[in-house]
Amino acid sequence: MAIRFSLREMRGGLSGFLIFLACIALGVAAIGGVNSVARSISDGVATQGQTLLGGDIRFQLNQREANQAERAFLDGLGTVSESSGMRSMARLPDGSDQALVEAKAVDDAYPLYGALQTEPPLARDALLGEVSGVFGAAAPDLLFERLHLKLGDSLKLGNATFELRARLVGEPDAVSDGFGFAPRLLISRKGLEASGLVQPGSLVENAYKVRLPGNASEADIETVRRQAAERFPEAGWSIRNRTNAAPALSSNIERFSQFLTLVGLTALVVGGVGVANAVRAYLDGKRAVIATFKSLGASGGFVFFVYLVQILMISGLGILAGLLLGAAMPFAASAALQSVIPVPAEGGFYPGSLALAALFGLMVTLVFALLPLGRARDVPATALFREMGFESRGLPRLPYVVIALAIAVALATLAIFMANDRRIAAIFVGATIFSFLVLRIVSALVQFIARKSPRVRSTALRLAVGNIHRPGALTPSVVLSLGLGLTLLVTLALIDGNLRRQIGGSLPERAPNFFFVDIQAADVDAFAALVGKEAPSGTLTKVPMLRGRLMALNGVPVDKVKVPPEAAWVLRGDRGVTYAPAKPENATLIEGSWWPADYRGEPLVSFSADEAKALGLKLDDTVTVNVLGRNITARISSFRRVQWESMGINFVMVFSPNTFAGAPHSWLATLSDKSATVADDARLLNAVTRAYPTVTTVRVKDALDVVNQLVGQIGTAIRAAAGVALIASVLVLAGALAAGNRARVHDAVVLKTLGATRRTLIAAFSLEYMLIGLATAIFALFAGGIAAWFVVSNVMTLPWTFLPEVAIGTIVLSLVVTVGIGLVGTWRILGQKAAPVLRSL
Amino acid sequence: MTEAAIQLKDVSLTLGEGASSVNVLKSVSLDVAAGETTGIVGPSGSGKSTLLMVLAGLERVDAGEVRIAGEVLNGKSEDQIAAFRGRNVGIVFQSFHLIPNMTALENVAVPLELAGAADPFGVAARELAAVGLADRVTHYPGELSGGEQQRVAIARALAPSPRILICDEPTGNLDQATGKQVADLLFAKAAERAMTLVLVTHDPSLAARCSRQVAMRSGRIEIDAAPAKIVA
Repeated sequence: MAIRFSLREMRGGLSGFLIFLACIALGVAAIGGVNSVARSISDGVATQGQTLLGGDIRFQLNQREANQAERAFLDGLGTVSESSGMRSMARLPDGSDQALVEAKAVDDAYPLYGALQTEPPLARDALLGEVSGVFGAAAPDLLFERLHLKLGDSLKLGNATFELRARLVGEPDAVSDGFGFAPRLLISRKGLEASGLVQPGSLVENAYKVRLPGNASEADIETVRRQAAERFPEAGWSIRNRTNAAPALSSNIERFSQFLTLVGLTALVVGGVGVANAVRAYLDGKRAVIATFKSLGASGGFVFFVYLVQILMISGLGILAGLLLGAAMPFAASAALQSVIPVPAEGGFYPGSLALAALFGLMVTLVFALLPLGRARDVPATALFREMGFESRGLPRLPYVVIALAIAVALATLAIFMANDRRIAAIFVGATIFSFLVLRIVSALVQFIARKSPRVRSTALRLAVGNIHRPGALTPSVVLSLGLGLTLLVTLALIDGNLRRQIGGSLPERAPNFFFVDIQAADVDAFAALVGKEAPSGTLTKVPMLRGRLMALNGVPVDKVKVPPEAAWVLRGDRGVTYAPAKPENATLIEGSWWPADYRGEPLVSFSADEAKALGLKLDDTVTVNVLGRNITARISSFRRVQWESMGINFVMVFSPNTFAGAPHSWLATLSDKSATVADDARLLNAVTRAYPTVTTVRVKDALDVVNQLVGQIGTAIRAAAGVALIASVLVLAGALAAGNRARVHDAVVLKTLGATRRTLIAAFSLEYMLIGLATAIFALFAGGIAAWFVVSNVMTLPWTFLPEVAIGTIVLSLVVTVGIGLVGTWRILGQKAAPVLRSL
Repeated sequence: MTEAAIQLKDVSLTLGEGASSVNVLKSVSLDVAAGETTGIVGPSGSGKSTLLMVLAGLERVDAGEVRIAGEVLNGKSEDQIAAFRGRNVGIVFQSFHLIPNMTALENVAVPLELAGAADPFGVAARELAAVGLADRVTHYPGELSGGEQQRVAIARALAPSPRILICDEPTGNLDQATGKQVADLLFAKAAERAMTLVLVTHDPSLAARCSRQVAMRSGRIEIDAAPAKIVA
């Protein structure tokens, strides 16, 4: 019966619910859409795992090739394709210009899955084969542009000459071989050999991709992995299979989608304020109907259900609209993301993601609608006889409060539970609840100050101040709705701004000009002399460099160690390691002591303090690293403070020199020269590449440009997300102001009959909106500032600066939005003719 | 002796709190026999509407006993009183209070549906026909004249066959001619169904049609007599 009554009641249309609908639809679309897009990418990674990985299973060895036994094992598994990747300098034959490239040398079996796309399409031999000492190569447009090359031109890599025979259009397994800072240069393994780049200790990654015979199941692949680990415990290879083709990409996408989900949830919660406003306004209008129902014998519970059903139906419509938008997002995104993410994101329908969004939408509706609904239950039938002020504030009966609170708790729990990083999600949820409470207090404070402020002479200002604190004032709705959106915007703008400042400003000032990688031990002194001559004012810092993977902590394999997400990178893949007889100049020991210069005992290691703390390591604990196929266990003898953001040479682990005695390795060097101009940098780069073609030189400014671009893209996504929350805010604000305007017509008309001019009324309304907007902006700056400071200095551990442009921008935006939207609505009021309103009073 | 439909014993009611509180009803006692027609008159603020609300179980009293249709309402929960009202008391308001989004038929059916009656729409259609609105069943309140709206309201009040019909200024929003038609209808139906009719009115001619008049002043019953005595 309640449903029947609800349907009859809804014949009046949904005009008061457009904001409600929009708020719910927006939030649900954001959450459903973001998660669907993330799922479509993950599905793309999963369904095309073989192609993306380049095989069913992939073994990667660093700085060395598989030995005979290992290779025999791999060959016994199925068809093997071997490729080697390394960064190096490609230069023009006359030495006039050079560029960093990510060289990838492939064999004839490549690719095992998918197809290599080149323009023009060429057979393998024609593409990469040797013709009178010149090898073939393919590269993407970027390299052609960078070195002003055209098809058929030559370039040198190490000691070999390569002819660019085709443009590289599609490389099926690019994502699993890492897509880095520099353009790809695809060559043959013979070509790489001829280049002489692969020297003992060179930073080369050798990947062995295997196609297993028949239709190998996941269990078969797991068996292979286990066998490999059992038979070659010291191999130190990292093994990936087709279900986990691009772990870094997958986890980044997951992290980003979770962040966006939380932002979407904020939008939904902000929209919840709009839901509460709409429900309250609607029920206010239904007061006589509710009282009539009661006088005709309806119980309070029946009234509650009649309106609950209506609210649920409207919310259902909003959710449906949101789901339609959200479901369409993967299709729209698949085109847009093609250029950003190297994985074909297929459009698709993801019921799980959409159901989650719908659930969030429903829960938010209930949390915000239950209190006004509970209050409606208590509208007395006597309201029909006597004009009593409907007490639309205050709390309803206890059960409604308890149920609303329970759903709010369930909503928060679900948001935290669904997140990958529950700590961050919990902080986010906590901050939202805290902001809600604080915004309530702020609005009460603003009203209190308005009430206590001295009487002013200006009529407009007096009216404005009166409007701010009178019963039924807009202040709480405006402060709450705009406050949450603005706070989120300020937080994200400050984080983004600080990040950009770091990359664009302070980082390059502290960072060295160049990194030189793969300097052969025999060349180190001559190399230093050359750099000293070319850059006399620069400071060259050089350290031996090996690649090592952490295998075990205190004898426990790392895959069995539970690590917090912020330290997971230390255990993931290979890390650069070094050794040093004496404490490096830029290191600060905070615990333990450095080994003597002539130390000969058991291997010792100095560990980075913050990372050790996160991994739960103490002095005298042991770490096992695999370097060049050997497991080495060392005891931690000291902890160092490492300034990662300085971008100098930093290592998590510095070993005692005897640890790697006899192990072949190359050297890593940095050059810092603050006085160097762009021309000086170019000259040095050219001189080094000419003299040492196998040394890889990375100009930090170029690398930072790439990072900057990436941060720019992320920043755009973050701003778009914040925009969603702000749109929700503005919607709610518009709704609140529209609801307020109905009451305002009466005031405006009465004031007009008493002689108020249009100008006085406009001034009064503008001042009111401005004062509320300003108070909200100040709160948002304060709260957003604290949140951003926390993220930048504690989570990102970067220096924090408050950015005045964000402050000014926020205040201007807040004022424009409140005064703008407020006056648009008020304009109609000012044009209102007095007589009809007075007649209906 | 006829059974009493309404019995109020020493009923007092104060509205508001603290300095703004008003003693709206002061020790009011009233017995109305079943089938009797009673007009309550008095100046604004005398407590007549509040008395009506007490009779309808819409307002709880601070002191005294309220017995309606044989049931004591004191101590009953709000929902129990709502259900009781649905069965026993029909109310007609000055401002009609029809539900704007429901047709005339649906409006009349509401109390029947709430009471779980069989065939609510059949009964509602018959009640509308009985007040002369058989051709208006699908109209919404906004499409009806004031007199028609009040006739729908009367049909709605009569539909569950209540023992008591309570009317608050039933002709207050109507012109004289329409008001007379509505009053004729009310009295005819009350007589036809032997219902107890209590109405509050400022209209002396309407009050004069009742078998009994109660005049209130400052929360007390000043005169309780046959109409002629009050007019005199």
